[in-house]
Amino acid sequence: MKKVILLLTVVILASCSVIPRTEVAGSVDLNNLEPLPTPEGYEAVPLRVAIAAVISPKGTLESYSPFLKYLETKLNRPVELIQRRTYLEINDLVERGEVDIAFVCTSAYVQGHDTFGMELLVAPQVNGETTYNSLLIVPTHSSAQSMSDLRGKVFAFTDPISLSGRVYPTYVVQQLGFKPEEFFARTFFTYSHDEAIRAVASGIADGAAVDSLVFEFGLDRDPSLRDKVRVIHTSPDFGIPPVVVSPFTRPQVKAELQALLLGMADDPAAQKALTAIEIDRFVLIDDSAYDGVRALMSDIPIPETP
Amino acid sequence: MIFQELIRRFWDFAGAVSVRTKILGIVLGLVALFGVAATIQARYAMTATLTAQLEEQSISVSRDLAARATDPILLNDLLRLHDLLDETLANNPNVRYAFLVDPHGQVIANTFEGGFPLDLLALNSVQPNDHHHTALIQTDDGLVWDTAVPILDGKVGTARIGLSDASMHSAVSTLTVQFILIILLVSATGILVAVFLTWILTRPILSLVHATQAVAKGDFSPRVKRWANDEIGDLAEAFNNMTEELARTDELRRERESLRRQLLEKVIATQEDERRRIARELHDSTSQNLTSLIVGLRTMETTCSQCAALTKAIDLRQVASKTLEEVHDLSMRLRPRVLDDLGLAAALERLASEWQARYKIPVDVAIQLSERLPSEVETAIYRIVQETLTNVARHAQAKSASILVERRSDLVRAIVEDDGVGFEVNTNHGEPHLGLLGMCERAELLNGTLTIESVPEHGTSVFIEIPLRSPLPAGEGTGVREKPA
Repeated sequence: MKKVILLLTVVILASCSVIPRTEVAGSVDLNNLEPLPTPEGYEAVPLRVAIAAVISPKGTLESYSPFLKYLETKLNRPVELIQRRTYLEINDLVERGEVDIAFVCTSAYVQGHDTFGMELLVAPQVNGETTYNSLLIVPTHSSAQSMSDLRGKVFAFTDPISLSGRVYPTYVVQQLGFKPEEFFARTFFTYSHDEAIRAVASGIADGAAVDSLVFEFGLDRDPSLRDKVRVIHTSPDFGIPPVVVSPFTRPQVKAELQALLLGMADDPAAQKALTAIEIDRFVLIDDSAYDGVRALMSDIPIPETP
Repeated sequence: MIFQELIRRFWDFAGAVSVRTKILGIVLGLVALFGVAATIQARYAMTATLTAQLEEQSISVSRDLAARATDPILLNDLLRLHDLLDETLANNPNVRYAFLVDPHGQVIANTFEGGFPLDLLALNSVQPNDHHHTALIQTDDGLVWDTAVPILDGKVGTARIGLSDASMHSAVSTLTVQFILIILLVSATGILVAVFLTWILTRPILSLVHATQAVAKGDFSPRVKRWANDEIGDLAEAFNNMTEELARTDELRRERESLRRQLLEKVIATQEDERRRIARELHDSTSQNLTSLIVGLRTMETTCSQCAALTKAIDLRQVASKTLEEVHDLSMRLRPRVLDDLGLAAALERLASEWQARYKIPVDVAIQLSERLPSEVETAIYRIVQETLTNVARHAQAKSASILVERRSDLVRAIVEDDGVGFEVNTNHGEPHLGLLGMCERAELLNGTLTIESVPEHGTSVFIEIPLRSPLPAGEGTGVREKPA
């Protein structure tokens, strides 16, 4: 009888071990490797929009999505967002005509215009201005009152050719009679302004220079930053980062895009897109608006590599 | 009922093997049952746990990959993406593959080298708002947990990770092998323990068996050692008590038997002596007197020829002659002098011829004896043959009979056969024929044997074998002593 009970126990245990399995979704031979198909072309040639990494790639995608969507609807063709780590890479894309339209940094425009003929399309107008500043920020608890107090500290640059993030602070340091590499204990590149703000807010950097537009934008997105960073210096006004086209962009396209962007402010459907990137409207701008920057940059060497 | 039938079959098998095998079977059976049950349960538990872990790991790895791949995808940093995938593959040995798909379904980067299994793309997908979606996929390398995680709500694409369950299976296999090894080890120990247990258990039983066999052979001396204070110990003690009792009874029986034998010998010896005395008396005295009477009567016949008493005298002489014959015959049957004077051969031949004459049944006599036998042997054989012939005459309705006596090196054998109706030997066992019993007793008193073979309608054979020069059993009497006449 004991044996019978044991036998039953074994049978019961054995039946327990039927493991409840998830349904098998399908089968595939992982060793049967085939060449990946060439991406099928879109129905229409997409409009390639490059956006320089003023803010992080993720932030860019989120902020510019309504704007891109608006373009897509208006132009009735797909819009492709292209981002790169550095401003120089974006400039390269513009130079080679691999993008149709690009949002670039002021200094990148100046460099692009002067080296390969980057063309201005429009400029955003923010709070009625087409200028912006470079803001020197430090952590709230920092005792620094000016750039000279940041000597021997850690400083975060944004992009090697960013006007507000590197060119202007370098200029200030030079005015103090130093080279940045001698003035600061250590410098590093964050490649976007919001990351530079985050570096200062978290104490990784003792100071950073950021785009005033991005700074406002960042504080709006994350109000807690107001308690973490403070501005100790504001630069003179610089020409606002413009929207440019490649020298290879066809004039018809350029005209169409210009008209579309300029008309956005009057299109109720475009308000959401403009609000998302915190722009009042797009306006025409002349290259001379950037002469001040051009003068400043002539004193600061632009490194080919960071 | 099938259950009872199963139990019966099991018992047919289990009952046929030795206690050693039974104990071994119990030990090994229990170890095997427990081991198998434990193995199955452990495999089940481990597989379930590892499967859950695998699914968890699949989700966490792919979410990690999705988070880390966002910027490189947005920046079109393919090198970094490949590094990222390679790192994912290197840091998670379970990861069979990893790849990234853009929102259009194009593969941006993957860990397959030199191509891509295109069928894989459609097997799993995830909605932009979902946390993740895991599917189980059957591949040629085994089952794979495929988890898809949307990158930045699907705007940037999807990260896909496939976790192979091969390592889980190998872990489970290793566990199983370990369990089986443990079972084998425990079984080996179990065999040793069982052998020891068997030895402990069967040692007293075997000694009981040996002692019983000795007792069966009549040897009451062995005593069984009481190994333990258990039931078997009690049995050993009971056995010892029984053996002692048996030994006492046997001693008593032997004494009685010896006494009986002595008595029997005495009776037979006395009987033979008495017969011999009467026979001699009849021969020496009565026969002489009768002969004198006959001679006197004959003289009277010649002298008194006209006498009226002549007829009477003739009648009387005839009566006397007949009486003399009868006395002769009686004397002969009581104790033939020829047996004492000339030996067994002559006595048997004479017995046969007289028997043949009397009953008209031919008797074939074949006697091969080179010398005289001890007188008690001669007497015994003579008496047995005599009794046998009497039985043949009375019951067998035989047409012929034969007597064979021969001497082998150390025994004498006699065979008396007839072709009569025979009888069922065994039926006489319940109520043994006194004559046959007497024959057996005579043979046994001389340590001989008497065997009767008979088949109804096919005659009867009586075999007598009596050893010569064999010492008499210890404590026995002096045996039958025949005094020569």
